Amino acid sequence: MTREHNLDPRTKLVIVLCLSTLGIAVNNLALLSAIALLSYVAASLFRANLKRTFRKIKSLIYMLLFIALVQSIFTRGEPLLSAGGFAILTVNGVERALQFILRMAIVIFSATIIGTSSSRSIIQGLVQWKLPYDIAFMAALGIRFLPMLREEIRDSLVAIQLRGIDIKNIPIKERISLYSYLFNPLLVGTLLKAERLSIAMEMRGFRAYDKRTSYLVLKFTKLDYLIMFFSIAITAVFLIISYM
Amino acid sequence: MHYIEIRDVDFEYEKGKSVFQNLSLNIDKNETIALMGPNGSGKTTLGKLMAGILKPTKGQVNVFSRDTRGIPLHEIGLRIGYLFQNPEKQFFANTVYDELGFVMKIKGYDEEYIKEKVEEKLELFQLKGLVNHSPFLLSQGEKQRLAIAAVLMNEPEYLILDEPTTGLDKKRKDMLLNLLFMLKNQGIGMTIISHDRRFVERICSRFIYISRGEIQYDERA
Repeated sequence: MTREHNLDPRTKLVIVLCLSTLGIAVNNLALLSAIALLSYVAASLFRANLKRTFRKIKSLIYMLLFIALVQSIFTRGEPLLSAGGFAILTVNGVERALQFILRMAIVIFSATIIGTSSSRSIIQGLVQWKLPYDIAFMAALGIRFLPMLREEIRDSLVAIQLRGIDIKNIPIKERISLYSYLFNPLLVGTLLKAERLSIAMEMRGFRAYDKRTSYLVLKFTKLDYLIMFFSIAITAVFLIISYM
Repeated sequence: MHYIEIRDVDFEYEKGKSVFQNLSLNIDKNETIALMGPNGSGKTTLGKLMAGILKPTKGQVNVFSRDTRGIPLHEIGLRIGYLFQNPEKQFFANTVYDELGFVMKIKGYDEEYIKEKVEEKLELFQLKGLVNHSPFLLSQGEKQRLAIAAVLMNEPEYLILDEPTTGLDKKRKDMLLNLLFMLKNQGIGMTIISHDRRFVERICSRFIYISRGEIQYDERA
């Protein structure tokens, strides 16, 4: 169950699945904007911490904007802005860039909805959806390892700088070799941690058997069914409008 | 002017959970300081503040008369060597040789010179037989020795060593002590964060004991 609402995490997964399907399947700009707005409203209703999410993915947002700009420049079509007979921006290009930004916004907003449930309850939801336990467990471990990986990248960057290397101002060739150095401890460290963790867990009698009992058992309520029904219905309506 | 000045520093990792309040401390370059205290007292945090890895929430930490907020970390790293409590945190390379030589390689030093410097450290820290081993697969004591050797590759003028004796047997501790004496005689100052009272008593001239983020005593031998 969730912190703020008594909604089943599987209901949230259905909402996210619906929103992301719409984000991929719909091309119409007006409809995409409506879906993005819907995702934002849904994320706000679930009290997802959007501010924190944006802070975390700030550099990714700049990259997305850059990709959108490149896309708008290199797409051919009716010129919108040209210099010396060369089309710098085209109507198609701008449209594609906007589609890309809206799609990414939908994915980000909807992903924050999942973040309002604990990873444990999401995994339980997947298991109750008959996902094999070892796959669900692997996903749970993956989620658990993510913040550690982030911390390790940060530590490695600090350690490299503490050895007197100005990361921002070294030539590109050296910088590439430096990033390969960064990747190395990350990979080895993760493998070693995974090995240690598996040994520690087996020593405590853990095996990823398919048949197991769980203290946490999720149960759909009427509200869950209602929300899932409306999510699927709205998705169908949007898809029908989009392909009519 | 002191080499490291900690002025009325407050620090917290999480809002409302203060590690230090109004902490002040001055450190001179030629001093050999032992920073002691129980687990969770803030020793490592203080070390990281001194090295500019962490920035104070309030107050100021000045290193060579400059506020650490305004100095890029690599500039501090050129002059202050920092040994992490967990040596694995400072490893990057696939081999012990690369681990020691990579900074010089990135900086464009001549391959022969790098080899000479690396071999010197391998000899000094008894790591010669491990030159092609992965740093991540060494024993705890070997990792610790490699980490210290890597810090010294930069020839820093001041050292902050966080638990340098962890995983070292008596023989290796004595060896480390001799090395630190040699560095001390070369005019390199150091702060040793340690629980190993016997070890620090043999080399340090100033003893700072902190508990719950406060300096309990600060004595010179």
